[in-house]
Amino acid sequence: MTAQSGRREVLHVDGLSAGWGPMRVIHDLDLNVYAGERVGLVGLNGHGKSTLFLAIAGLSGWQRGSILLDGHEVGRTRSQGPGRYTHLVVRRGLALMPQGDEIFHGLTVEEHLDSGAFTPRAWKERGERKTRILKIFPPLEALMKTPVGRLSGGERRMVSLGRGLMADASLFLVDEPSLGLAPKIGKSVIAALMAVELGGSAMVIAEQNVGLLEGRVDRIIGMHAGKLKGEASVASPLSSKGPAA
Amino acid sequence: MNWSFVIANAITLACIYGTLAIGISLTWSSLGLINMAYGFIFALSGYGAWLASQYIGPNTPVVMAAGILTGVVGGVFVNALAFIPIHDKPNYQLRGLIATLAISLVGNQALLWSFGPRAKSLPQLFGTGSVNILGVVMTADKIGASLSAVVLLTLVLLWMRSSRRGLEIRAMMMNPHAASIVGIGVRQTSFSVMALTGGLAGLASVLLAQTYYVAPFSGITPMVKGLSIALMGGLGSVPGAVIGAVVLGTNEAFTSTLLGGQYVLITQFLLIILILLIRPRGIAGILDKAREA
Repeated sequence: MTAQSGRREVLHVDGLSAGWGPMRVIHDLDLNVYAGERVGLVGLNGHGKSTLFLAIAGLSGWQRGSILLDGHEVGRTRSQGPGRYTHLVVRRGLALMPQGDEIFHGLTVEEHLDSGAFTPRAWKERGERKTRILKIFPPLEALMKTPVGRLSGGERRMVSLGRGLMADASLFLVDEPSLGLAPKIGKSVIAALMAVELGGSAMVIAEQNVGLLEGRVDRIIGMHAGKLKGEASVASPLSSKGPAA
Repeated sequence: MNWSFVIANAITLACIYGTLAIGISLTWSSLGLINMAYGFIFALSGYGAWLASQYIGPNTPVVMAAGILTGVVGGVFVNALAFIPIHDKPNYQLRGLIATLAISLVGNQALLWSFGPRAKSLPQLFGTGSVNILGVVMTADKIGASLSAVVLLTLVLLWMRSSRRGLEIRAMMMNPHAASIVGIGVRQTSFSVMALTGGLAGLASVLLAQTYYVAPFSGITPMVKGLSIALMGGLGSVPGAVIGAVVLGTNEAFTSTLLGGQYVLITQFLLIILILLIRPRGIAGILDKAREA
């Protein structure tokens, strides 16, 4: 699994189409993500960022095309049954932090973090991993025993992201981490994500707001009408080059 | 009117119906399945316990274990037949309802066919003595039934609070979509949910057979009561189901003493309609402090 750059490919998407019912949202999309890199996925509302993430997790309405996660094929052609194979993809090393948080409103913060560690190795190490998450999101420490249904939007986002970071993932997909948060809190959430040590894994962050990611991720890919549009590395920020706008 | 008799009956019925209601509630909230075959599992485990008492020996652990195990097998069977093939297909909830109803009809007829219409009675599991607690005379069968229901339910709930599998089930109850995102397999978990709730039906069946009997259709009425308690308590809420069971157990004991047994279902449904008119989400709507979304 070496690409032309010589780095290991964590994600290799080839010819992916996906959508909901009669609607096709993703059109023959190809995407490579390499180990150790942070990728920003930028595009307007409704252009397929979330559907792309959901399709990688097997949660879109239907999908077709190849998805290699760490060299293992997790893509398939299916017309219904969203979520049926998601747990297998997750066990292969995917951590999806979905838009809208998808929390379990009656579980406590601590139980949420535990539930993020369902792979056997993560479950054994969940104690130290929780400590690590609390270092990234210090406000959660005091809330460990509180049901998540009582938390504020920003705290819920931290729980949702923390749950994703508990896993043994090789690929983290973060869907609009700043959505619906006050700008200051949104920025601190992004900063926390940037502080996560990736090691051999990779992270893709979808955002509408280019400014939040600019200069902080390794490259930024634009998304428009279900296709990837251009790419910019951090060395040459989007604002000056502008292919992804 | 004999107060102590009414109270003793209310407690026993509350424990048994509460067990059933929690089973139904768990199935609904984690799998989205209204298990109409629950009455069949109930009757089946009664026969399992009866067979064990006939062929292995009429001692308490054997009969109870046989009832619970038959319930577990019944639950797994219903899951394999009515949940696994259709759970990700369109219109699943209605299809699941019909599929379990079909299993219930076929299963009850099969029981009638193989065991005959005559009711069987289980051996007295808890002896015949009686104790006077604060002026309330509790016979041994009632104490045994209430205690074993409370103890086993507590164990189940503790297991759900503390174990990893329990966390999986609770996560699936609250948000099945998010559960798959954290790597919980719906199919695997559905087997543990149905085995667990089937076991609860088996327990309730053995305990209720201490007062009543085992018959091919003996599961229908308890299932209707369990389902209505689960509805009243707020589907998916264990504390709601417990309170609902106490309310309906009391209602049943009072109605059958004051008006007569044939009026029990009438007063029961009037009570449920009243409660759901005032609290549409059931009793749990009052208890739940967390926001839904």
